[in-house]
Amino acid sequence: MSLPPTKRSLSNANSNATASSSSSSSPHFHPSMKKAKSQAVACSLDPNKNGLHHHHNQDDNDVVFDPSSMALDDDSKPDDARAPAAANLSRKKATPPQPAKKLVIKLVKAKPTLPTNFEEETWAKLKSAINAIFLKQPDSCDLEKLYQAVNNLCLHKMGGSLYQRIEKECEEHISAALRSLVGQSPDLVVFLSLVEKCWQDLCDQMLMIRGIALYLDRTYVKQTPNVRSLWDMGLQLFRKHLSLASEVEHKTVTGLLRMIESERLGEAVERTLLNHLLKMFTALGIYSESFEKPFLECTSEFYAAEGMKYMQQSDVPDYLKHVEMRLHEEHERCLLYLDALTRKPLIATAERQLLERHIPAILDKGFMMLMDGHRIEDLQRMYSLFSRVNALESLRQALSSYIRRTGQGIVLDEEKDKDMVPSLLEFKASLDSIWEESFSKNEAFCNTIKDAFEHLINLRQNRPAELIAKFLDEKLRAGNKGTSEEELEGTLDKVLVLFRFIQGKDVFEAFYKKDLAKRLLLGKSASIDAEKSMISKLKTECGSQFTNKLEGMFKDIELSKEINESFKQSSQARIKLPSGIEMSVHVLTTGYWPTYPPMDVRLPHELNVYQDIFKEFYLSKYSGRRLMWQNSLGHCVLKADFPKGKKELAVSLFQTVVLMLFNDAQKLSFQDIKDSTGIEDKELRRTLQSLACGKVRVLQKLPKGRDVEDDDSFVFNEGFTAPLYRLKVNAIQMKETVEENTSTTERVFQDRQYQVDAAIVRIMKTRKVLSHTLLITELFQQLKFPIKPADLKKRIESLIDREYLERDKNNPQIYNYLA
Amino acid sequence: MMRRSASKKTGQPNSTNPITYSPSDLFRTASSKASSKEMERIDNLFYAYANRSSGMIDPEGIETLCSDMEVDHTDVRILMLAWKMRAEKQGYFILEEWRRGLKALRADTVSKLRKALPELEKEIRRPSNFVDFYSYSFRYCLTEEKQKSIDIESICQLLDLVLGSQFRAQVDYFIDYLKIQSDYKVINMDQWMGFFRFCNEISFPDLNNYNPDLAWPLVLDNFVEWMQAKQS
Repeated sequence: MSLPPTKRSLSNANSNATASSSSSSSPHFHPSMKKAKSQAVACSLDPNKNGLHHHHNQDDNDVVFDPSSMALDDDSKPDDARAPAAANLSRKKATPPQPAKKLVIKLVKAKPTLPTNFEEETWAKLKSAINAIFLKQPDSCDLEKLYQAVNNLCLHKMGGSLYQRIEKECEEHISAALRSLVGQSPDLVVFLSLVEKCWQDLCDQMLMIRGIALYLDRTYVKQTPNVRSLWDMGLQLFRKHLSLASEVEHKTVTGLLRMIESERLGEAVERTLLNHLLKMFTALGIYSESFEKPFLECTSEFYAAEGMKYMQQSDVPDYLKHVEMRLHEEHERCLLYLDALTRKPLIATAERQLLERHIPAILDKGFMMLMDGHRIEDLQRMYSLFSRVNALESLRQALSSYIRRTGQGIVLDEEKDKDMVPSLLEFKASLDSIWEESFSKNEAFCNTIKDAFEHLINLRQNRPAELIAKFLDEKLRAGNKGTSEEELEGTLDKVLVLFRFIQGKDVFEAFYKKDLAKRLLLGKSASIDAEKSMISKLKTECGSQFTNKLEGMFKDIELSKEINESFKQSSQARIKLPSGIEMSVHVLTTGYWPTYPPMDVRLPHELNVYQDIFKEFYLSKYSGRRLMWQNSLGHCVLKADFPKGKKELAVSLFQTVVLMLFNDAQKLSFQDIKDSTGIEDKELRRTLQSLACGKVRVLQKLPKGRDVEDDDSFVFNEGFTAPLYRLKVNAIQMKETVEENTSTTERVFQDRQYQVDAAIVRIMKTRKVLSHTLLITELFQQLKFPIKPADLKKRIESLIDREYLERDKNNPQIYNYLA
Repeated sequence: MMRRSASKKTGQPNSTNPITYSPSDLFRTASSKASSKEMERIDNLFYAYANRSSGMIDPEGIETLCSDMEVDHTDVRILMLAWKMRAEKQGYFILEEWRRGLKALRADTVSKLRKALPELEKEIRRPSNFVDFYSYSFRYCLTEEKQKSIDIESICQLLDLVLGSQFRAQVDYFIDYLKIQSDYKVINMDQWMGFFRFCNEISFPDLNNYNPDLAWPLVLDNFVEWMQAKQS
C-alpha cells in the first residue's frame, strides 16, 4: 500500500468522469464511457477530487487518533517541514510500525475505545448511499463522508465484513434488475436495448460504489487472497444472475444472432447496440462460450444454405463475386462489432461453406466457360479466392485438363490440320496472358501449362512437327506480304515455343529442310536475314548438331554464287557456250540437302551442251567430285512469242522441256510428249496439267478436262493472253507431292531405326552386360524422339539376330554384348 | 557325299548331356574286347539301314528303321533318338552319331533299341535335359546353311510335337495366334526359347504374372495382348 499508485488511479477515475469519450483507459472502465453518462454521476464523482486531500488528512488522522505518536511526530518534525510530500512518503514507509509498537508497550491504559455501534452506524450510512445509487436517487450524505466511512471501517479491520455487506447489497439489486428483464418485450430489438440499459446502469452504479469504497479495494481486497475487486464482484454477480435468469441470456444471444442474420440479409441494424452488448459478453467473460460458439454455428448454417442456393441460381462469375463480397462483409463485421479474435474462425467458416465445399462444382460449372471467354478478371477472382482455401491444386488440375481437352480438339481433328499451328499459337498466347494476369504468374501453373502443351502436341505423333515446319515455310516464303520484319521475328519466336514441346524434332527437321531447300533453290525465300535468324534460333534451342546441315545448305548457296561468277569469266564459258541461253547452277553437297529421287528427262540439245561445259569447268576446278543433275529442281525463264503478245514464262525444267517441243510442232499427243521428253509418267501428267489446265494455259488440252488421260493431245494456245508480261507457271514445284511427303516421313523413320540400333550398340559396348530394363531406361534417356518400348524390343531382337547381342544363357533378362 | 553342313553351334550342344562321351572316350572303351563285339553289332545294324552310296542312314533308311521298331517316323521318340545320337542333319544319321547313341542306350538290336525308347523318354523329361532337347529340336530343323529361323508352319508342327504333351493349352493358343498374325513369317531361336520360358513361368491362361516390360520377345508380348483381347 503506497501512495503514488493510489494517486494515479484516482486521477484516472477523474479523467473518466470528465473526458467521457476517451478510450485509452483499462477495459474495466469501458462501460462507463457511455455518452449517456448521467449528470449525477459526474457531480457525485467530483468530490472525489477532494478525496485526494482527504486522503492526506486521513494520514494525519492516523496520528491524531494516537496521542502517543504525537511525540514521535514531533521528533520527526524537521523532516516534515523540509519537504512535506517526501516526508509523507518516507514516513509512510518507515514510521508507522514503530509508534504502534511503542504505543502498545507504554500506554496500555490509555487505549481508546470505539463506540459499540460504530460499525452498524457507519454501515447504515453506506447502505443508504448504495441503495440510493442503485435506485438512482440523490443521497443526503455527501461522498466525502462516505469515503471517510469506508476508510474508518477498513482501519478498524472491518473491511471483511464491509465487503460482504456491500456484496450482499449489490447482489440483491443486480438480481432484481435482471429478474425484472424476464418476460420483457417480445420484440427482440427492444429487449436487447433493455438489456443494454440494464448493463449500462450496472456499470455506472458499480463505478460509483467503487469510487466510494475505493479504500476497501486498495486495502482489504488487495491484501486478501481470492477476493475480487468490487468491479469484478459486480461483473461476477451480473454473470451469475444472468445465467440464473437463463431466459434473459438466451433471449439476448438469440436476439444478437437474429440481428446479425438480418444484417446479412441486407437490413440495416443498430450496430452500436450490437457492439455494446457484445462488449458486455466480453466483459463478463462469456463471449466465446455463450455467443461465439452459437454464432459460428449459425454462420455456418447460414452460408451452407446460401452457398447451396446461390450455386444453383447464379453462374460462377456472379457466385464468386458474391463470395468475395460476403468475405469482405464478415471482415467488416469484425471491425464493427465482433471481437477481433472471432475474425479468424468466422472467415474460415464462411470460406468453408461458400468456397471449399463447392470447389469441384465451381470448377466443373464455370472454369471452362471462364477460360473460353478469356475472363481475366473473373479468373483472377477465382484464383485469389481459391488460394484462401488452399484449393489452388484443384484449380491447377482443372487448368491442366482444360488445356488438354481444348488442345485435343485442335490437334486431333485432321480436318483442321491447316489451322492447327495458328490455333495452337493463339491458344498459347491466350493461356499466357491468363497466367500473367489472372494466376499471378504462379510457377506451378506455368509448368502445368508447359506440361499440358507438351502432352497435347505429342498426342499425334509427327504430324504436328510437320505442320509446324510447314507453317514456318509459309511465313518464310516470298510473297508473304503485309508482315514486317519485326512481326515475322515475333511469329518465329512464338512458333519456336511450340517447337520446344515437340518430342520428334527429327520430323520437324526433315520437313523444314525439305521446304528450306525449295525456298533456296527456287529463289522463293522472303528474306535471307529471316532465314538465318530462324536457323540461329534453332541452333540455340537444339545445338549446332541440329543445324549443321541447314547451315551447310546456306554455305552451298553462297559458294554456288561464286562458282557461277567464275564460270562466266572462264575461257570454257566464253568460247563454247551456245548463245541465247543463260544458266546458273547450284552445286549442292550431298548430305546437307534432302535426297531427291533422280528424275530422268531428255533435255533439249542446247541445255545438254550447256550442262556438259559447266561440268567440264567444275571438274577442272574440283577434281574427284561427281556431279549429278537434279532435274526436278531446275527452273527456267522462257521467252514466248504468242500471236497476241510476247511473254516471259517462269517455268520448271520439265515444263521447259515440254514447251520446247512446241517450237517444232503444233499438236502433240500425250504419248508423243512422253516419248520425246522421257519424263516419268506421273510427273509428266502433273506438268501437262499445270500448262494446260491451270490458271495460265499456254497449252490447250484436247479434249478439255481436269485430268490428263492417255489419249489426250495438246496444242499450242494461239489465243493466249494475260495482263502481265512475266508469268509464273512453276508453282507446282513448290507444292509438296504426296510421294515427297511419304518419302520424307519414311526417311525420318529409317533414320530413327539406325539411331536406335546405334544407341543400343553404343550402350552395350560400354556396359558389356546389361539387363533389359536398364537398357530400355538408358535408351529412353538417349533417344530424342518418341518411341514405344515395343519398337525398342524389335530393334534389340534384330540385333540379337544379327549377333551384336545375345541373351544371357542363365538369365534371359540380361543381354551380353558380342564383340 | 558331303558331310552335313556342320555349323559350329550345332556341333556342341550347349547343355549337359548326361552321358557324354568325347571321341577319345569312345575309342578307349572301344578297345576292350567285350565292347568291341558290341560295337561290331552296332555297326552292323547301322549298315543294315545305311544307304550304300552315301554311307549314312538317309530318310528312307530311317523310315525302314521306324517301321522295324513299329514306331511312326513322326513320333517324338525318333526326335529323341536323334538328340541322343546328337544327330546334326535332319533325316540323316552318320556312323559316328549312330555309335554314340546306341552305345549310350546299350542297344545293338532293333528290339533292344525299341525297348530303350521309354527309358530315353523318361531321361529327356527330366527338366535339366528337356531344355537341351527343346533347343536341340529347333537346331535340328535348321536344314540350310546360315539358316537361323524356321517358318511358322514348321514351328507349329514342332511345337506340337515337342511341347504338346506338356503344355497343351499354351501350345494350342500359341499355334492359333501364329497362324492368325501377319507380323512374323519365321521364328528364331530366341523366340523359340522364349516360348519355353513362357510356358514354364507364366500362369496360364490368366497370364497374371506376365510383364511386357521385361525382356520377353516381342512376339510373346503380342501373343499375350491377343490373348487378353480375346478373353475380355
